Amino acid sequence: MAAPPAPSAILGAEQAAAAFPPLLVAAERVAATVAQGIHGRRRAGPGDAFWQFRRYQQGDSAHSVDWRQTAKADRPFVREHEWESAQTINLWCAGGAGMDWRSADTLPTKRERSALLLLALASLLLRGGERVGLLLPGDRPTSGRLALHRLAETLHRAGAWDIPTSGLPRHSSVVLIGDFLAPVEDIATTLRTLAGRGARGHVVQVLDPAEESLPYSGRIEFTAPTGGSSGAWLVNRAEDIREAYVDRLLAHREALRALTRSLGWTFALHHTDTPPHAALLSLHQTLSGALLKGTG
Amino acid sequence: MLGPLGMFGFGAPWVLAAIIALPAVWYLLRVVPPAPRRLAFPPLRLLMGLSAREDSAARTPLWLLLLRLLAVLLAILGLAQPVLNPQPGVAGGDRALLLVVDDDWAAAPTWEDRQEVLNSLLDRAALQDQPVMLLTTAPPADGGPVTLGRLGTPEDAREQIRSLEPKPWAPDHAAAATLLNDLGAFDAVMISGGVRHEGTDALLDALRRHGPVTLVEPGPGGSPLVLGPPERTPDGLTLTVHRPAAPGVALPPRAATVQALDDKGRPVGAGPVTFAADAATAEAHILLPADLRSTLARIEARPAGSLGAPGAAAVLLLDDSWQRRPVAVVPGERERAGVPLLSDTYYMHRALEPFAEVSETTMAEALEQRVSVIMVAGGGRLSDTSTDQLVPWVEQGGVLVRFAGPQMAAGPQMAEGSRADPLLPVALRGGGRTLGGVLSWSQPASLAPFPDDSPFAGLTVPPEVTVTSQVLAEPSVDLPQRTWAHLSDGTPLVTGVRRGQGWVVLVHTTANAEWSNLALSGLFPDMLRRLTALGQGAGDGSEDAAGTAPQPPLELLDGFGRLGDPPPTARALTATTTISPDNPPGYYGRADQRTALNLSGAEDPPLGLGALPAGVERIGFGPMAQAVDLRPWFLGAALTLLLIDLLISYGLRGLLGRRPTAAAAAVALAAILAAPPVEAQQGDDAFALEAALNTRLAFVRTGLGDVDQMAQEGLGALTAVLGQRSSAELAPPVPLDINRDELAFFPLLYWPAADGQEMPDAAARSRVNEFLNRGGMILFDGRGPENAQALQVLLQTLDIPPLAPLPKDHVATRSFYLLPGLPGRVDGGPVWISQSAASGDAVSPVIIGSSDWAGAWARDNAGRPRLPVIPGGERGRELAYRSGVNMVMYALTGNYKADQVHLPAILERLTQ
Repeated sequence: MAAPPAPSAILGAEQAAAAFPPLLVAAERVAATVAQGIHGRRRAGPGDAFWQFRRYQQGDSAHSVDWRQTAKADRPFVREHEWESAQTINLWCAGGAGMDWRSADTLPTKRERSALLLLALASLLLRGGERVGLLLPGDRPTSGRLALHRLAETLHRAGAWDIPTSGLPRHSSVVLIGDFLAPVEDIATTLRTLAGRGARGHVVQVLDPAEESLPYSGRIEFTAPTGGSSGAWLVNRAEDIREAYVDRLLAHREALRALTRSLGWTFALHHTDTPPHAALLSLHQTLSGALLKGTG
Repeated sequence: MLGPLGMFGFGAPWVLAAIIALPAVWYLLRVVPPAPRRLAFPPLRLLMGLSAREDSAARTPLWLLLLRLLAVLLAILGLAQPVLNPQPGVAGGDRALLLVVDDDWAAAPTWEDRQEVLNSLLDRAALQDQPVMLLTTAPPADGGPVTLGRLGTPEDAREQIRSLEPKPWAPDHAAAATLLNDLGAFDAVMISGGVRHEGTDALLDALRRHGPVTLVEPGPGGSPLVLGPPERTPDGLTLTVHRPAAPGVALPPRAATVQALDDKGRPVGAGPVTFAADAATAEAHILLPADLRSTLARIEARPAGSLGAPGAAAVLLLDDSWQRRPVAVVPGERERAGVPLLSDTYYMHRALEPFAEVSETTMAEALEQRVSVIMVAGGGRLSDTSTDQLVPWVEQGGVLVRFAGPQMAAGPQMAEGSRADPLLPVALRGGGRTLGGVLSWSQPASLAPFPDDSPFAGLTVPPEVTVTSQVLAEPSVDLPQRTWAHLSDGTPLVTGVRRGQGWVVLVHTTANAEWSNLALSGLFPDMLRRLTALGQGAGDGSEDAAGTAPQPPLELLDGFGRLGDPPPTARALTATTTISPDNPPGYYGRADQRTALNLSGAEDPPLGLGALPAGVERIGFGPMAQAVDLRPWFLGAALTLLLIDLLISYGLRGLLGRRPTAAAAAVALAAILAAPPVEAQQGDDAFALEAALNTRLAFVRTGLGDVDQMAQEGLGALTAVLGQRSSAELAPPVPLDINRDELAFFPLLYWPAADGQEMPDAAARSRVNEFLNRGGMILFDGRGPENAQALQVLLQTLDIPPLAPLPKDHVATRSFYLLPGLPGRVDGGPVWISQSAASGDAVSPVIIGSSDWAGAWARDNAGRPRLPVIPGGERGRELAYRSGVNMVMYALTGNYKADQVHLPAILERLTQ
């Protein structure tokens, strides 16, 4: 899924096009199972849906009077619509060799699962009328059904990219999906920058179950997924270091959780061996609640 | 070098020195840890700095280490050429190995074991590149002396041994011993037959002078059996069976069986033989009815449980003297009977015929024919010349049965004789005795039960047998012993006595119904049968024959005891012949007059090996005593252990995770490979099920598209017509592959003939013939006169019954519609059916014509006719349908409507 080099760009695009519909369909399917519409604004405002009738007040324009309702009573009524304003949400999905990894053939890679979550979330948001974009410099959030296709395309074309710390519109929401295995200090720097621009964020950590439990034993030389050059670690008995590793991982996650809490963001954990629906639902709930809160 | 177990040795013991390298292997395995498995892992950063608690865990586990050491040890042991049960006498080195093989009759029963012993000895010799020499002790078949084989490689010797066969004569150990004088030192192994012959000691001594000697002997369980002479008993045979025995050597008990076979090789009787401990001879009894006894050709002795060749000494061939039991019936010399129902000879003839060769001759001819039993009727006194000839004949084994008669009863004649008749078992009193006569108060006497020691013992006496007249014996001391049957008042009725080898028997009444009704009863044939069984056959007169002319070899035994064509080296049998390479045992003479020369039949058991000269090591050979080269087993085990080690190593490194996938792939592959026959089977079953569930027409596929389509549509249309007009509601027609499909389901096959059609193969032809023979019917259609050639070609391949033109009033034209014939689309000439069906009631299995019926029937999907009907137009088509209906009805109902054909005649008769 990583962005291919120029000579094989066309080939990569074709490969992506082959993988693109199922991914999109899967995203749609997952989104359809989540109830829609709970993120109405619950207040009168510009919009299409009827909200309430209210007494005419001084200053209301004459064409806002609902004459039919007025004719039923002896005083004029004004028809109010529910306020439907679109929120801008920027999505980001981690890339890199570490994300293109899975512990077993039966599992999706973390990258696939992350992209699935991202697109499914985007599908949901778009159906709700939100403006959705990638957290990518130069990418403008759009809305509408076609936006999903544009997103998927852009997502593939962009490949892996780092979180931009500039160019983010103020007071927007960001959703960051990735494994977040980098040192917490590096992550903190990035997130603080984002938060400093007033963004509300949601962090979803996607991990392979093997990364959670280190289910290996025997004499193993662990290498980085990018290749041998970036370092290797020889373990004589992998089962012996399992507990220590799990402790470290938990500590790392706690640090992440503390970081997001300190920024007022949310943190969620997802494993690739569990179905995406649960993660999507909880993300959706959190996000819609956050949206309400953010505008309330 | 022998291993610690004694049963275990090494061919290359110096390799075992490599065992001292094992600790080094141990050290290396301990020091070098197994190679790690490389695994990409994204959270590598979190792992950095974590290390296992104890370093030693990285080393190979102890049990795996031991496994590997065991594999190495096995490999070293395997390379050291381990041998189980190393053969003694093969000390190795440059000394040659001399194999002395007894290939005489004694070796035959255990020949395969011997071959195995020899092969294992040669295996050992081959392991050490020892030169081998072979010495066979039995003289060769060409009559030459025993010779020494050439010194050669073990493989050369193996070739020679493979071509060895046991000879049916004795070995010449003395000659073999003299051959050894010029030889140098060697290791000797003698494979002995287990029998001591003249010169055995000399041979062993000669061997001993040249080096160590090992004697391999069969042991008491495998020693050869030798059949002794057979003896007749009233109810069968008693046989003596010998085994080799030596003074002072204990023999265990042993079980064997004897089997009697008739001239066609069928077993007719068998009996067990049990040698008591230390007994060299045992007796066997075979129960045999007399008529089976006369067909005996061969008796074999085998160790119990053995099915192999018995060996020449355990086979006793019986020749004509045994088999034929000719009985001569001689009328009384003074009486020439002519009236059948009154003459003595008539009753004897009738009673003897079922089981004996009966000839009615004069006394002189009977003696010339070398019969075994002579029955003299009429009771007259024998002439002196006859008596002089008969006495030696009886003493050689002949049985003379005489019947009393009026002449014998006449006392004065008895008294006249200057000497007592030697051919009467008892002295007779003058005058007869008449019971129940007109002037007598006494009643006719009945028979008393037979005494137990009589040849008639066991026969039941019918109460209606009565004797009215008899001759009486003079009372004497030995009269009761000679009495074989007596009347209820105790007077003897049959008396007999042994004379030499033979018997003289007197029946004290006549052989006709004059004096007694014995000759009319069922007891009479039984008694005569018992008397005949006493005979030994044509009187051991082989000496006469042998004395007159040499007899050419006819069928000879080989060492195993199998009869075969005589080898060219066999010579004719003369009077003084003993068994030798020139005269092997077997049958000599002409096919109709055979003389058996037997290796068996000795009165005394053969001599066992007994004590051997000092310095001869003796061992037995058994099934487990062969040398087994363990090298492949050790190396195989080492390889297996290494493979297991490989798997375990992979398992330790966690690389076995993909194995289930591979196994699943293998299983899937196997399933794919196994699947096609299953499907084919299901296909056949589906066809059979489909064809059997509904009655339907079928046509034979020609392989030509338009012909097949026409047949399909024609039969389809005919099926529709049948459904409309009759109660024959058939399922849609099906095409048949004549070479593959089962025909039995279809009442009527339509077989169009066409140029270039597929011809039935041989199997299909036989199935078609079977189909026709079992009631199937085939309509052959030449499809128009222009196709007559194709129809002829097709019919030539099949077995069609003789044909006749279809008669005008045949059932087929009356079975549903009344038709003038069986018209089709074109006028294709006469229609032919089976000849028998044309005349009688039989149903013809074939209807053959060229009228292109299917062409007339065929309609396309819209119901339009395919082809025009040449004579008659649509009316002609209707007639074609009607003939089709008639033919199907004929196939379904047979000649059921045949009566209708004759209805006019029946009606005419009724009205009269």
